[in-house]
Amino acid sequence: MTVEAPERKATDHFPNREEYQSLLNRRSRWARLFQLGCLLALSIAVVALATLLYTIVNDSFGLVAVVNENEPETLVAGLGYDPETTALVDVEYDELVGLLETSVASGVGRRLEREQRFYEDRLVFESEQVWSEVCSSAEPPAGCTAGPRDHATVYALVLERVVVPDVIAAYELVPSLVNPEAFEAEVAAGFEAGRFGEHTADEASIEWRSWFNLTFLRTPQSATPEVAGIRTAILGSAWLILITLLFAVPVGVGAAIYLVEYAKPTRLNDFIQTNINNLAGVPSIIYGMLGLAVLVRVFEPFTSGAIFTDGVPPAENGRTVLSAGLTLGLLALPVVIISAQEALKAVPDSLRQAGLALGATRWQTVRSQILPIALPGMLTGTILAIARAIGETAPLILVGAASFITSDPTGPFSKFTALPIQIFQWTSFPQVEFQKLAAAASIALLLLLLTLNAAAVILRNKYSRRA
Amino acid sequence: MTRQTSIKEALTMETDQDQETIVDLGAAPDGPAGGGVIETRRMSVYYGDFKAVADVSLNFASNQITALIGPSGCGKSTVLRSLNRMNDLIATARTEGEVMYHGENIYADDIDPVEVRRTIGMVFQKPNPFPKTIYENIAWGAKVNGFKGSKSDMGDLVQEALESAALWDEVKDKLQESGYSLSGGQQQRLCIARAIATKPDVILMDEPCSALDPIATLRIEELMLELKEAYSIIIVTHNMQQAARVSDKTAFFNVKLNEKGMRTGRLVEFSPTDQLFTSPTEKDTEDYITGRFG
Repeated sequence: MTVEAPERKATDHFPNREEYQSLLNRRSRWARLFQLGCLLALSIAVVALATLLYTIVNDSFGLVAVVNENEPETLVAGLGYDPETTALVDVEYDELVGLLETSVASGVGRRLEREQRFYEDRLVFESEQVWSEVCSSAEPPAGCTAGPRDHATVYALVLERVVVPDVIAAYELVPSLVNPEAFEAEVAAGFEAGRFGEHTADEASIEWRSWFNLTFLRTPQSATPEVAGIRTAILGSAWLILITLLFAVPVGVGAAIYLVEYAKPTRLNDFIQTNINNLAGVPSIIYGMLGLAVLVRVFEPFTSGAIFTDGVPPAENGRTVLSAGLTLGLLALPVVIISAQEALKAVPDSLRQAGLALGATRWQTVRSQILPIALPGMLTGTILAIARAIGETAPLILVGAASFITSDPTGPFSKFTALPIQIFQWTSFPQVEFQKLAAAASIALLLLLLTLNAAAVILRNKYSRRA
Repeated sequence: MTRQTSIKEALTMETDQDQETIVDLGAAPDGPAGGGVIETRRMSVYYGDFKAVADVSLNFASNQITALIGPSGCGKSTVLRSLNRMNDLIATARTEGEVMYHGENIYADDIDPVEVRRTIGMVFQKPNPFPKTIYENIAWGAKVNGFKGSKSDMGDLVQEALESAALWDEVKDKLQESGYSLSGGQQQRLCIARAIATKPDVILMDEPCSALDPIATLRIEELMLELKEAYSIIIVTHNMQQAARVSDKTAFFNVKLNEKGMRTGRLVEFSPTDQLFTSPTEKDTEDYITGRFG
C-alpha cells in the first residue's frame, strides 16, 4: 500500500513515485538487516553468558561414587538407632563426640581439642594437668579461650575423621540427570578394570552431591577435597572488599570532586585527566607489580603492621591482606574517579550557580546541593568498580596471597587467601574433585559479586527516590 | 590604533566617541560619583582574548528597577553577571575597570566573591530550584550564611520570603513537598523568595520571565514592582514591553565589530525608561525599539 500524493514536478530533485517506492523498499531492507544484526549481537552475548553459567553449575552438582571408611549406617546402628529412620546427622552431640573418641587417634584428638574444646566443663582427649600447663604457657592455643564446638562442626569432624568419605568418581549435572545409569556402568567398569585401587564395588555407594553447600562455605581449606571449604577465602575476600572500599571511595570521590568542581582547565589538569583515563586501562598485573614493589616491599613496616607495635610485628612480612586490599584499591581508583566524575558532571550547572548566587561557598554548594544528587551515580559506579577489582586474581598472586591457608584472617595484617586465588589453585590440581570445588567456589564468588551489584542497585534506588 | 584606513576601525572610533556622551547621559541624573547602589566604571569583560563588552559605565540607582536591553550577543547578560562576580565561575572570564558597590570596588583583591553574591543576589533565566522541599529551598541560603535564629525564626523567615515573593498562599500547605512539584512560574517565584531570604541589597534578574507563559510573567512583573520598595533590581530582558512596563531606567546595549572583527557589546544609551522609549537620542536605539533590527 502506498500513501497517495500528487505527482511531483520533475524539477524538484526528489524521486518520482516508482523510484521512491523502490528506494523505500531498499531502505526498509537495510533497516531490517541492521535490526537483525543487532539482535544477533545480543544473542551472542546472551549465549556466552549462559554458557558460562552452565559450565559452573554443571560442575557444581551431580552424581558421585563414594567409598566410606566407615559407613554412616553402620555407625548409627552401632549407637543403637535404626539406620532406616535415623541419619548420622540426627544423633546426639555426646554420641558424635563418642564416635570421635573411639575412632580418632589420641594425638589427633588432642590437637582437635586444643583448636576448640568439645565441652565447657570437661576434657575429652586431654588430661586436666596437661591442659592447664598448655594454657598457662606463653602462647596458649585457641582452645583455651574459645567456647566449645557445636553440633554442626562436630558432625563435620565425624564425617572427616570417622566416616572419611572418598569420592572415587564424579559426574556432571546434566549427564547425571539425563543418564544416571551410564554413571553406574562407568563406575562398575572402573572397578572391574581395577582403577579404584583396593576398593571393591560393594563398598562404593552412588549418591547425589551438591559441591556447593553450607558446609563448603563454613569449613576452611583442606588438602582432602571431600572436606575442603572456602571459609578462609570468603573471609579474605570480605577483608579485601572492606579495605578496597575504605581506600578507593574517599580518595576516588575526593579526586573526582576536585577535578569537576575546582580544577581550572589548565594544561596540568588536562594531563592529569588524560592519565587517569589511561590508568583505567592498565592491566591488573601491572598493579600487582606496583603492589609488590611498593606496598609489600617499600612500605613493609606499614603493611606488616610493624610500625604499630613495639615488639613483634603482627605479620612477618608485607604480604598481608592490607597490601592486597590497597593494591586492589589502586586498581579500582581510576574507574571510581571516572564514574564519580560522570555522576558529578550530570548534575546541572544551574544548581551550582543557584548555590553560589545565594552566597554559599563552593564547598557548601557541593556538599549540600551537588553531592546528594550525584551520590546514587557515584555509589553505583564505585561498587561496580570494586566488584570488578574483587574478582581480580593476577595482582593478588603477585602481592602474595597464600595458596594454602586454613586460619581465618583476623585483621588487616593477616596472611590471607581470596576466592579467585582459591579457584585458580583448585583448577590447577589434577583430581576431578578439585575441579568440582573450583566450580562451587565460582558460584560463591559470583554470588558475592551479585550481592555487591544488588547493593549498588538498592542504594541507587533509595537515594534517587529521596532527591 | 595607528592604521586609520580600516572601516572597522572607523566604526570603533565612532563608538568610542559615542561612549563619552553616553557616560555623561547615564551618570548625569544621579551625579557622577554616587547616589547609586552599584556603579560600573569603564568595565570591560573578556572571555579569553575575546572582548565581550567594552567600557560600560553605568550607575544603578537604589530602590529602582533598571532594565538592560539589546539584541542577542550584545553582552547585557555578561554585564549583569559581572555585577555579582558570577562571571568568575567561567574560567576564562576576566573583568577590567571597576564595579563599585556603595563606593567599594567588588573586584578589589581583598573582596571575597562569596560576600558579594550574598549581598547582590541573582535570579536566573530558567527556574532552578534545588531538588529539595520548598522549605529547604528557602532555608538553605540563610543557613549557609550563618543564620543564627531558632527553628521558629527560620519558619518566620521562610514565610516572610514566600510572602514577599507572593507565593505563600499557594504553597503554605505543602512546604515539605519538592520544589519541583511547582509550576514554572511558581518555581521562578520560589527562586526569587530564595534570593530574598538571604536579605540581599540588590537582586539581579537574568531574563527571569523568558521561560514562563504570559500570566506567570505578569505575576513576576507585579512582584518586581512590589520588591523595588525594599530592593534595588537590575533586570536583563529581551522583551522591550517588559522593560517599558516595569523599569525606571533602561540601558540599551548593541553589538559593534571591533578592529579585529570581533563582536563586542557596547552601551549605547542609558536614560529614564520613558525617555528612552519615547525620544531616544541615539539612532541605534530608535531602530531597535521600533523593531527595525534585533
